[in-house]
Amino acid sequence: MIQIEHLSKSFTLNRQQKKELGTTQNSVLAVDDISFECLPGRVHALLGPNGAGKTTTLRMLSTIFKPTKGTILIDNIDAVKDPQEARKHIGFLTGSAGLYARLTPNELIAYFGELYGVSKNDIEMRKKKLYDLLDMHDFQNKRIGKLSTGMKQKVSICRTMIHDPQVVIFDEPTSGLDVITAENIIQLIRDCKNQGKTVIFSSHIMGEVDLLCDDITIIHKGKVLYNDTMEAFRAQQQAPNLTAEFIRIVNDQKTETL
Amino acid sequence: MIFTVFKKELRDTLRDRRTVMMMIVIPTLVFPLIMSVFMSVSESFQKEAAEKKVKIGLVSNQVGSLEADLLKVPEALGKKQFIPFTDTISLIKAIRSDSVQVGIYVPNNAEQLKSAMKPISVTVFHDGTDLGMKERADAYLSYVQENWKKQRYAQLKINEAEVTPFVMAYSNVASSKEMIGKLAGGFLPYLFIAFGFMGCMFPAIDLFTGEKERSTIETLLTTPVPRWKILFGKMGVVVLSGLLAATFNLLGIYLSIEVLNLVKDPVILQAIKDILSPTFIIMLYALLCPLIIFFAGIMIPIAVRAKSFKEAQSIISPLNLLIILPAMVGFFPGVELNEVTALIPVVNIVLATKELIAGTLEWHLVAMAFGVMVLLAVIAIMLSYRKFENENNVIS
Repeated sequence: MIQIEHLSKSFTLNRQQKKELGTTQNSVLAVDDISFECLPGRVHALLGPNGAGKTTTLRMLSTIFKPTKGTILIDNIDAVKDPQEARKHIGFLTGSAGLYARLTPNELIAYFGELYGVSKNDIEMRKKKLYDLLDMHDFQNKRIGKLSTGMKQKVSICRTMIHDPQVVIFDEPTSGLDVITAENIIQLIRDCKNQGKTVIFSSHIMGEVDLLCDDITIIHKGKVLYNDTMEAFRAQQQAPNLTAEFIRIVNDQKTETL
Repeated sequence: MIFTVFKKELRDTLRDRRTVMMMIVIPTLVFPLIMSVFMSVSESFQKEAAEKKVKIGLVSNQVGSLEADLLKVPEALGKKQFIPFTDTISLIKAIRSDSVQVGIYVPNNAEQLKSAMKPISVTVFHDGTDLGMKERADAYLSYVQENWKKQRYAQLKINEAEVTPFVMAYSNVASSKEMIGKLAGGFLPYLFIAFGFMGCMFPAIDLFTGEKERSTIETLLTTPVPRWKILFGKMGVVVLSGLLAATFNLLGIYLSIEVLNLVKDPVILQAIKDILSPTFIIMLYALLCPLIIFFAGIMIPIAVRAKSFKEAQSIISPLNLLIILPAMVGFFPGVELNEVTALIPVVNIVLATKELIAGTLEWHLVAMAFGVMVLLAVIAIMLSYRKFENENNVIS
């Protein structure tokens, strides 16, 4: 379970960043007082246009960034005060994350297993299970740099799940992937949901959101615009499809701001 | 957990061809290469010098006894050919155009002066940039002079020993080890420091900037390992790479003398063998350790902050000069480790190693140099920690 309350994050700008953004302000507020909850056994969509603050929010949830204000509870562990303990419960998969090209999948999975404090026996057991599930046996000893994009994605999934996390964070996991490779991710998200894990999922693809998600939060300019179940979202829908509805909500906010 | 990170980073680093080249291949080969080039060049110079026929321009109006005796100088002092000139102007022109290498001017009244047992003023013309030519002319003239002196003593019935108040003999109290240490000892620490620095450079950039560039750092930071442990694991590999580069450099020296037999002079060979004793090696590592931690500690904050491999390299490479220049102080004979130089980073390690090679170490100065470097290494580690803890630096 993830509970977020009054979460904010601001970044200090250096001289070059101020120049690039054309501002004289010393800091920029990327996430502004957001609150929502993600429940176990449900997939929670986090949507927003580019620069809305999705990645910053997910980075705070995964404890890479420390919030400026607010609280995050991961399975009732305060992730701000005790990030190391919270990380044991989190699996984090991003579309943009790279892998160590000079290692083999076996070496990489063992390394991350050790970093998560999983025993050697458990690593072997879970690795076998994941390799069976993802059909990874054939390339387990090849250097990752020599693998195809689809194979690499399977290695990423395996790395994310090796410590059997209860909370799984997906940050645009299918971006840039072909349909077959993306299907592996979709299947993984379904499996996580069926196993009762808490899943938070950020994407631009409304089709995936419609297919997978039970709850939805739309953020824009660091603020929450909409937060409810997918069922409620569909019920209040005014536009002809989900993509159009998402655009309508974001545009309404823009008009209100103006 | 530090060891888990260290193990993985070491494996990753050893699989990087560029790092292996800088850490193992080049440091091992550099000394044998320098030695073999130096030996073959010096051998060919010696051979060429011995075989070279020097053309000597001789300005004199007559063929007197000095000219005749110069022609009789044995070939053992070097092959020669005398070419007559009528005046010094054409002689100078010929030396400048290298058609003759050296010139000797004998005055017209040479024979009268000789008969009167008076000194003859002989002028040697030479081109200062043509090394060894003046010495050739000196050798020929000294040979003739010695013979003439003997003839004069005989004519005057003088016993040579009676007009020689004393004979000088020189005894060098410095051992050959000391000689090498003080005069050429700066070269070894220079090599160790330069390669220690270069050995650290690629791993530091690869393990910090490279992780950022390849977007692998994000997943590493989501593991329940404190950042300082990740930093120390990575830093350990950077430091080890620097030490390994210095070690392979040392191995190259060993190969040059023990396997490839590149050092022929038995005195120099014995001196190098004496220098490379277990005590020297232990002391060398004791001095190199804080220095290389310091190198790693100044490279890591740059690598953490840099957005790309290229940016990190463009900042760290000029830093190389800042390290290499003080390390060159060791090349100057006479610069020694004292209460002031012991406080100057890099210079202190070069000079302490130089003293160590010469066997003239003063322990309180070494302790000062070591203390300064340990202090700087601690400061550099703290700086690295601060930079690595800052999320804005680590995540691009």
